[in-house]
Amino acid sequence: MVTCAGCSCLCTDIVVKDKVFNACRRGASIFRNAENNKAKPKVDGKEVDFDTALNKAIELISNSKNLAVYGLDTVPLEAQELAIKLAEKKEAFIDDNSSFCLGDFVEMILKKEIPTTTLDEVKKNAYVIFYWGTDPYNSLSRHLSLYTYYPRAGKRQRGYEEDRFLVVVDVRKSHTAKLAKKNARFIQVNNDLELIDGFISALDGKAGNYFKDVSRIISEMKRADFNVIFGGLGLKYGLNSDYSRFLEMVNKMNEISNVYFLPAGFHANMRGFNELMFEKTGFVNRYSFREGKASKDFEFKNLILNDEIDTALIIGTDPLNSLPFEVARKLSKIKKIVIDPKNTFTARTADVVLPSAITGYDQGGTMVRSDGVRIEVEPLKEGDVSDISILKRILEGI
Amino acid sequence: MAITPMEVYKLLPKTNCKKCGEATCMSFAFKVINRERKLEDCTPLFEEKKYAPQLEELKKMLKGIEEATETGLIVDEELCSGCANCVVVCPVHASDDPYGMGSGYGPTIDDPILRIEDGVVKVINMKKCRRYGKNRILCVACRENCPSDAIRFVEG
Ligand code: SF4
Ligand code: SF4
Ligand code: SF4
Ligand code: SF4
Repeated sequence: MVTCAGCSCLCTDIVVKDKVFNACRRGASIFRNAENNKAKPKVDGKEVDFDTALNKAIELISNSKNLAVYGLDTVPLEAQELAIKLAEKKEAFIDDNSSFCLGDFVEMILKKEIPTTTLDEVKKNAYVIFYWGTDPYNSLSRHLSLYTYYPRAGKRQRGYEEDRFLVVVDVRKSHTAKLAKKNARFIQVNNDLELIDGFISALDGKAGNYFKDVSRIISEMKRADFNVIFGGLGLKYGLNSDYSRFLEMVNKMNEISNVYFLPAGFHANMRGFNELMFEKTGFVNRYSFREGKASKDFEFKNLILNDEIDTALIIGTDPLNSLPFEVARKLSKIKKIVIDPKNTFTARTADVVLPSAITGYDQGGTMVRSDGVRIEVEPLKEGDVSDISILKRILEGI
Repeated sequence: MAITPMEVYKLLPKTNCKKCGEATCMSFAFKVINRERKLEDCTPLFEEKKYAPQLEELKKMLKGIEEATETGLIVDEELCSGCANCVVVCPVHASDDPYGMGSGYGPTIDDPILRIEDGVVKVINMKKCRRYGKNRILCVACRENCPSDAIRFVEG
């Protein structure tokens, strides 16, 4: 059995034979397409041998005055550690996708501002399960079947309809919301704060917004000593970076029952990067080693928009494909070194391309699941290169 | 979503012309669902242009019906994301493989009813399904927990 690093579920029961068994569509396609569209070592768009590309990368990084290291959410902790060391040595900026994704939630957890738990505990114990501002069916396909609503385990042996209570909060009837049937609630919100206020009022014994749904959910919560809220991007944007009311609600809920919080994360090792950064700097992302602090200005996107960097070392991500057009346009004007197993859009315009390996397929290492549990990933086969070996050589070379 | 004779009937010409050899369009609809007749046997539907939109819809609805298993379960692989909700909710799986599929993992038995292969669900052993055979129970757990309606039952 191998581990799939397709998302932060990090499913460990994948079997690869003539077919891929047990992985969801996204996970299966990683294994099935592993040998397609592979990156080749390149300098200025021309194919070269690996060492030539590596030497050019070392040269560009050495000559850079303002370097940014970016990406990293798909590579193992050991590679992230080296990238952080490199950023430190170069007094560079470093950032990952979590700055526009769920980094804030991970930070609240690491700072112990909110009670949290693990997916294994959820599986064994959770009764009321919230999905708030997230549609795991599409982003974390096996989340519900493997960890939360459907599996039978521990105290929850009687099946989802009797032993679990599902609450889906979203602005639209998502695929996940469709699952909220018997013993469940789907609450369609315009504004997350209105629902939060509804919960706070009800917990204070007053009638407020969404009273009928909210009071039913509260009485369900009281039936169990273990309930969990999974928060996604919808919640983050709904709260507009002000988490105080949300934290107040969770604290109040904890006066009546145990309620835990977990981010419904996305990229495979995003939490790993956040944890390493937090241990080292006290911040989870968008950090400048020159200034010794984190700031919104140091978010990769903003560094590019404000012409703050001359060179970007992009590892395991494809920003030209995912960032807004004006950022992508500016990004095309600076020096770029791409380390990636695939010939991505960004790789096609990079000054240097260093082909690496796919975590779980031809490279292993430690990955951190969305709940903070560390998973040792054994690859299906050992490849010639890995993010770890490449970053080690760059670090030695500069 | 269930495919019923009524749904099929609504889209037939409803002229009871008998060209298909059935007495009424309704009885033809029943037989199509039970896979005793093919849509092609209703010649007016194919020959007369005015039925073209209905024909398209019928084709879409009946897609996969010929491959439907004996219990009438059809999977539309294009809609399936491989979430495995259907595999894990199945009460038969829960009792036969409590620490595998019953606990959310891939099967640890060789003959599951459903299994995820290459990212989509496949029917492996329909004989175990509660809908199979004489004493069948009209279980709908897998279908009800598929968020994308990738699972359908033909209900004749
Ligand atoms: S849910 Fe995520 S980790 Fe699991 S198989 Fe799918 S992509 Fe891979
Ligand atoms: S041939 Fe078509 S229209 Fe005529 S009776 Fe049969 S189903 Fe109805
Ligand atoms: S109909 Fe019921 S028994 Fe049959 S596969 Fe679906 S869930 Fe299992
Ligand atoms: S529940 Fe639906 S989408 Fe999920 S694996 Fe089953 S058929 Fe596919």
